[in-house]
Amino acid sequence: MYSFTRRRLIVVLLLTSVLLLTLDGSKSGLVGGVKDAFGVVFRPVERFANVVSRPLSNVWRGVLDYSDMRKENLALKDLLVKQEGAAIAATASVREAQELLALNGLPTLAGIDSVTAQVVGQSPSNFTQTFELNRGKSSGIRVGMTVTNGAGLVGKITGVTLERSVVMLATDPEYAMSVKVGACTRPNTTTTAVPQTTTTLVSDGSTSLATNVLPTTTTTSTTSTTSTTTTVLQRATTTTIKGFTPFATTLPPVPGGGGVTQITVPETGVLLPRETGAMEGQGIDRLPVIRFIQTSTRLGELCEGVPVVTAGGSQSLAPADLVVGTVSRVVTRTGTSGPLLEVELAANLQSLNFVRVLLYQPATEIPQ
Amino acid sequence: MKRFFAIIESPFTRAVLIGIIVLSFQTTLFNTLRPFSVVMQVMLLCSAASGVAAGSESGAIAGFMFGFMYDMVLTSPFGLSALVFGFAGYMAGGVNTFAYSPRWWFKMLSIGISSAAAVLIYPAASLVVGVDGLLQTRVIGVAFTVGLFNAAFALPAVFLMRWALVKSKKQMLWAE
Repeated sequence: MYSFTRRRLIVVLLLTSVLLLTLDGSKSGLVGGVKDAFGVVFRPVERFANVVSRPLSNVWRGVLDYSDMRKENLALKDLLVKQEGAAIAATASVREAQELLALNGLPTLAGIDSVTAQVVGQSPSNFTQTFELNRGKSSGIRVGMTVTNGAGLVGKITGVTLERSVVMLATDPEYAMSVKVGACTRPNTTTTAVPQTTTTLVSDGSTSLATNVLPTTTTTSTTSTTSTTTTVLQRATTTTIKGFTPFATTLPPVPGGGGVTQITVPETGVLLPRETGAMEGQGIDRLPVIRFIQTSTRLGELCEGVPVVTAGGSQSLAPADLVVGTVSRVVTRTGTSGPLLEVELAANLQSLNFVRVLLYQPATEIPQ
Repeated sequence: MKRFFAIIESPFTRAVLIGIIVLSFQTTLFNTLRPFSVVMQVMLLCSAASGVAAGSESGAIAGFMFGFMYDMVLTSPFGLSALVFGFAGYMAGGVNTFAYSPRWWFKMLSIGISSAAAVLIYPAASLVVGVDGLLQTRVIGVAFTVGLFNAAFALPAVFLMRWALVKSKKQMLWAE
């Protein structure tokens, strides 16, 4: 039998919970203030607990994860060797793309400032997927900013204190982002042989820069106060794009490339169309999915392995063309619902250490 | 001075101090040790142990308090953990009263069941407040693991919470 006091207690606790939930939902800032104040008291205790418990954590990791870590380390070394060359070539392509975008007055990721932060904690909950970073408001970080690492999109900032911030991972069920996805790559691409030339003149502090602009070759000389080695690639560029004028681009040397480098250039006539969809997290151990993609004759066939990048736009959470990952599975659905695409994220969210916070606050996240 | 010591020795102060210390280990040590990829919920363990140690009402209040502190470090809806942990404390105390003189294994059972129930209720409650996507089949495994772990560590937790909440064996604070 419930007594009056017991009933009253339950009602009071329930009402208090509802009040707290309402306050949190109203985004009044009170909850954030309380959390900040608690953080000031709690951080020193947490740091102390971290120091005390670290040996035990290390023992646990050592016992359970050592063999896996060793295997992973060897696999990563192999992967690193393979990726080094590709990364340099990719850097050149990215630079080239940025130059093109800049020439056309389009925004690029290079124009967005960023802050590097270290992951210092993980959510202790079994349900939310968040990480804590060691940078906060004092570094310019605000709620809604996009977090990436070297590989691609990681998530977004959902909470900020003066020196800390919380990142919601892209796999969290509450995370959603508009993305672009292309159709399967068509096989009609051409492979071009690119001759490499290296010119070095450093004896008197002057550098000769050889620039080849087709169809004519021009050589210009500039004076520099530093000793520089410049490697210039002569590119055989043919294009049918209206209004496009080929221009010289200085590319970094290709590793081991003493002679001719093979690069694959898609023909201009086969530039792939892209569709925009909504990527949503699905929770722990599940891949994010893209909805609202409509198959059309223009888009063509969707298949696994095609890259997924952020769509951008004034209402989007992230700037455009940020690498998200690749399509790992295409689920065809009947009716008008369109296909469902599972996305393998490029960033490994299981082993995050340093991340980059883009100081780009979407319009939707700026407090009114 | 007397008043100061009275405050220091009060169950509320003890519970808050225990809560902060346990929370610090929850966010560091137990965040690292993840058997079967499940985070052990020591704050929930303390909430349920409060119910067993000091009765349903005290368990509900202590659980609410521990949940409130846990909410401070989570990004989930504020107050949700407080509600669920309060329920866990209340339920553990209630289950424990089924036995006239509960033996050690019954206390473990009470804490294990109430912890598992709280883990199951959490995503359902999240759904009510508008957080979608947490209610998955994985929750069953998480509830089972958390229940098992909390049952295993129930007795030291009950001992700790009895020290915090109960001044003597016959006198239960925060009771009616």
